[in-house]
Formats: sequence, C-alpha cells, structure tokens
Amino acid sequence: MAEVTWIADGERITADVADGINLMEAAVANGVPGIVGECGGGMMCATCHVYVESEHATGEPGPVEEDLLEFAEVPRRATSRLSCQIVARPEIDGIVVEVPSA
Amino acid sequence: MTVTDEQGTTAARCPVTSGFKPFDHDGTYEFLAGARREAPVFYNPETDYWVVTRREDVLAVFKDTERFSAANVLTSLKPYPEELTRFLAENDFTVEPVQSNTDRPRHTRIRQSAGQFLNPRRYREIEPRVRALVQDYIADLRERAARGEDEVDIVAALTHEMPARVVFMLLGVDDVDPLQIKRWALNRATMIWGKLTEQEMIDAGHELNDFFQFCRRIVEDRKVSPRDDYPSKLLELRDGDDEILTENEIVCLVFALLLAGHEAVTNGLTISILTLLEHREAWEELVADPTLIPKAIEEVLRHSTPVMTWRRLALEDVELSGVTIPAGAKVLLSLASANHDEDRFDNPEVFDIHRPNSREHLSFGYGIHVCMGAPLARAELKIVLEELVSAFPGMSLVEGQQLDWTPTMAHRGPLSLKVRLGGSENG
Repeated sequence: MAEVTWIADGERITADVADGINLMEAAVANGVPGIVGECGGGMMCATCHVYVESEHATGEPGPVEEDLLEFAEVPRRATSRLSCQIVARPEIDGIVVEVPSA
Repeated sequence: MTVTDEQGTTAARCPVTSGFKPFDHDGTYEFLAGARREAPVFYNPETDYWVVTRREDVLAVFKDTERFSAANVLTSLKPYPEELTRFLAENDFTVEPVQSNTDRPRHTRIRQSAGQFLNPRRYREIEPRVRALVQDYIADLRERAARGEDEVDIVAALTHEMPARVVFMLLGVDDVDPLQIKRWALNRATMIWGKLTEQEMIDAGHELNDFFQFCRRIVEDRKVSPRDDYPSKLLELRDGDDEILTENEIVCLVFALLLAGHEAVTNGLTISILTLLEHREAWEELVADPTLIPKAIEEVLRHSTPVMTWRRLALEDVELSGVTIPAGAKVLLSLASANHDEDRFDNPEVFDIHRPNSREHLSFGYGIHVCMGAPLARAELKIVLEELVSAFPGMSLVEGQQLDWTPTMAHRGPLSLKVRLGGSENG
C-alpha cells in the first residue's frame, strides 16, 4: 500500500493505492483530471505523464518510456515519468506527483 | 465435452444468441445490440467461443492479464490439416509467438525491444515520407480525373497497396512488389480468421511458408548489411544475446509486422472513406474544416470498427456480467460491440464526428498488448483523408454497388469500393 497525492489543476487528490497497481490506473480510478491513460499502460501514448515532486525514487525511465516522454505534448522535465510505469509499493508511500497542465 | 453440451442448451434457449453469424458482416450491429441487452456474455457452439459484448467486460478482460492469456490471439480458427503441419515442420517454418500472442514475462521482454523502433517518435519521423507517398497516389488519381475517368475503385487505386509501402519504409524494403505482400498478408489473415476448406488451407500454408522465408531473408541480409530499419535495429539490440532476442524471434517480429501493418490499415482507410461518404454532411464538414479530421477518424474507428473481434483464453473460471466463463474457455471479445455500448456512448448507432468521447473506443485494444501501430495507423488515416478532401471535395459513392466484405471473423472491410472523383481541385 502507498499513499499517493496528485496535484492537478491546482487541487490535491490523495488516495491509498494497493501494491501492484500502477499510478495511471490509480489516477483513472480516482478521477484525477489530466490523466487519460489512453493506451492502458502499453506504452504507446504519453497521456499519463506526471512530474514526480517528492524525493521518492521511482527508478529511471526505460528506453521506450524515454522516447515517449520526449515526444509528449507537454515539456519533459528531469522528474518526468509515465505514471503507468510507477507501481505502488511501500517504498513510494507518501509520493506526490504533479499532472502537467495541457 | 460437458461445456459444449451445457452451453449448447443455453444457446438453444436463447433466441438472441442463436442469431450470431461470426463470418457474416451484414446485420452484425443489430445482433450485437440485442446481445448486449439480453445475453451480454454468451457461448457460440459454431465456433466454440464465449462472446463478450459489453465495453466494461471487454475492458476488464484486456486488463486482466493474470486470468486471461493472449496465447490464442493468432490461432487458426480451423486446425491445420496433418499434411500441412508436416509440410511446415519439414520446411523450417519456425514461427513462434512474439508479441500479440504471448504473455508475461516473455511478452515484456520482446515488446521492450520492438518498442524501441515501433514507437510514436519513429512514426513522426517517417510522416513526411508517408505524405509524399500518399500524394503520389493522389497525383495518379488526378491524372485519371483529368482524362475524364471519373469512376474508380478506391481500394485498388489507393487503400489496398499504400499501407504495404508504409510498412516497407519501416522494414527498409524497396525492391518488393507490394501486391505480393498484400496477397501474403490476406492469405495469413484468412488462415487465422477465415473458414477455408482443407485443400485451401494446405495451399495457403505453402504461401505462408514463402512469406516466412521472405522475412528470414530480410533478417539474413541485415545481418550482413545493416540499415536504418526495424530488422537492423532489432539485430543491434540483440547484439548476439539470445536473452534479449533470438534471431528466430527477430524473423518472427518482421513476419508479425508484415501482417499487422496491412489488413487493419487497408480496411480502416476504406471504411473511413465509405463511412464519411455515406454521411455526406460529415464529409462536407471535413472539406470545409480539415482540422476536424482527427476527431472524425476516432468516430469512424468507433462506429465502423475495422477489427471487429479479438481473442483471449481464460486461465481460470471468471465471472463477467453474471456469467461464469470456465477455465480453458476460448473468449471472443467483440470490439465492435464494445464500441457501440450504450452505457458509454449515447445513441451509439449514430455516426457523429463531434461526439465528445469517440476516442474511448477499444479498436486498438487496451493495456500491455495495445496496438503498437496505432499512432502510425492514425497518421496514415489522417494524411489520406486530408489529401482526399483537398484534392477531391466532390467525391461521392457510386450508387447501388454491392459491397463484398473480407471473409473473416476479425477484419471488416470492403474488398472494393467504387467512388466518383467528382473532378479535382487545385489540380
């Protein structure tokens, strides 16, 4: 379990996410605006792009994710991740991610 | 066969589901609407498939990669005759599952490599070449129009061959007859999703082997002379390491791309033109404002889904819409039905390019197996429609034509489509 906070449109949405669920699925389930997750985690779109705002280590993006982040419509930052690739686990408890505004 | 007996009885009791005609594209949507209401998950004895019709259920199956395997995605609906199995074994036909029909963790490993070439960034890079290619076809059509030849089969003139040439760009192939590739791809699709006789199946199997050996020769060539293309990239990523990809897997990935890039795109293009010309007001809107084209494409993909069905295998008993699908069951996901589900889409049978949520269709699948060519397919559709509305704003359907559809359970598209060019603009 991990407590996750999304900052979207200036609002904060917090939810407990079960281990193994990725943050794109969790965002869609919690109605976080701006997270579409169109491809469902198949890494064919970048509609679940987030900036990781807290210090939690989420790992490095893989090569496919790198390409997609570069291609994303909103600017890439050093903290950019596709949230479908961040899976809830105790180590990321308390994570805060910002949803880029379109 | 308790399952068949039990479900045969259920199907017989239910007049709705007994009307299921998986190979016949006429009346499909009316049938599916009834099924969604009265028997959203039903067993079809003719094909031995459990058919899932509601969007929520289809989505749940796509998401549930633990309980549903993709192993049967490309399985031939009819088993291979023994003679064919023997022929393929004797001729080094070493096709193995690599993408759409594998499960984790193998799927993750292979897709990770494929995705380093087949991704939106690469597609964006080749877009100008795709447009130039489409413009060549348009120039031919303009010449025909200028000669007074107003009526053309737009499949033969454009949508049949063009996607093959786009796949050639990815494969770095420039010396092959696209029509040969199209024959191979249609042959493969018919073997998987059609209902061939035993002899037709054997003949098709020989063609299939030719197709596979062609892919093997491409990979062999790139080992010696690498280029900036898909097989070369896969070989580079492999770097001699079977743990990353084996050579045979690379041949299979090339083989898979050659199939995936064709039937669905050809049908998507033809169906787009058909649907838009059938709804003249929508076509006129696109002529007046081509920026509406991407929205219109999503509505076509929803309303007139080119890939009607996709498959999964149940690994355990799973309940969907109150029906228990037993472990081992073959599952047919009706993407066409999901895309017409009234729980998600208001007035689903209405074609409306301004529908706010068209893009929630499941025409490219969803989740870890989502179509890797989706961004490229969308780009091809967009470019073709942009060029057509600009060159031939007065295009119309030839009235009274009888449409013949691809004879398969998955792919839906007219084999030919006669249009009147209506003179060309800016030509």
